[in-house]
Amino acid sequence: MEDIHLMEHLQPHILYPLKIAGIDLSISNAVVMIWIASALVFITLVLAGRMGRLVPKGLQNVMESMVSYLKQTFVTEILGEENAGWFPFVATLFFFILYCNLLGLIPKMFTATSNINVTASLAIVVFLCTQAVGIYKHGLFGYLKRFAPKGIHPAILVIMVPIEIISQFAKPFALAIRLFANMTAGHLVILVFIGMIIMFKNVLIAPFPLAMAVAMMAFEIFVSLIQAFIFSILATMYIAEASHAEH
Amino acid sequence: MDPVGFAYLGGGLSIGLGALGTGIGMGILVGKTVEGMARQPEVSGLLRTTMILGIAFVEALALYALVISFLLIFK
Repeated sequence: MEDIHLMEHLQPHILYPLKIAGIDLSISNAVVMIWIASALVFITLVLAGRMGRLVPKGLQNVMESMVSYLKQTFVTEILGEENAGWFPFVATLFFFILYCNLLGLIPKMFTATSNINVTASLAIVVFLCTQAVGIYKHGLFGYLKRFAPKGIHPAILVIMVPIEIISQFAKPFALAIRLFANMTAGHLVILVFIGMIIMFKNVLIAPFPLAMAVAMMAFEIFVSLIQAFIFSILATMYIAEASHAEH
Repeated sequence: MDPVGFAYLGGGLSIGLGALGTGIGMGILVGKTVEGMARQPEVSGLLRTTMILGIAFVEALALYALVISFLLIFK
């Protein structure tokens, strides 16, 4: 039995080596997938927005129902009217992650979100936005004061302040790991089932892993949607939490 | 004693025990949500959204264990 290297399929391949000022900026297939996903987000949303039919049909219908659901969940329930300006940012995050996840399900394509660098950069953007909105709303000192609430014994503050600060950094870390692990695990399970067919080399056994692979593929479409939604709803909650008044 | 063998053992145990706790937690979560939905069907939409959000948090714990087992196995 020859070795099947599963992890190789999850490593990005470098298509065009590029190094600027000692920083590795090689064009790998993950980068190309990000370009395709961004282009698709732009094209589909602009096209759907330009249609402007009173009774939506086709593409406009799909996009309009998604955007209105996101708007209802994010703006009405979490952000509130005063922070509604953040909706385009979180909706863009949702569509970008969704397209990245779904593109990975097409054979020969690569899932950009199954690479820790991609999810980590998205999480860092969310982290910076969270800190920025907190400082913008409360001022630098007002924001820092939130880490040490009034009316708490100083002995407890010694423990509480570091925990609060660590939790600020733990949030984007968890965000990045969650998306990365979900996408990697899902694709690895499909690969394992397809690898079973190659391992057994038996016509009688082959249909069962194939059926499981198809079922997992369908489940992955659902997971892609859910994970994109989770990432954006958590980003929304962090932004709303940072901007709200002291509790 | 072979340290590489222990790494494989640790990887298997990591995801196995991680999935054990996560499975129990997810079962309780979904069960309670269904209870709530049966009692008050009019808020089932809100409950479903909250449940999916909660599941994502619980599921993340199993995925952390999975990452650790990957690190142990594919070195």
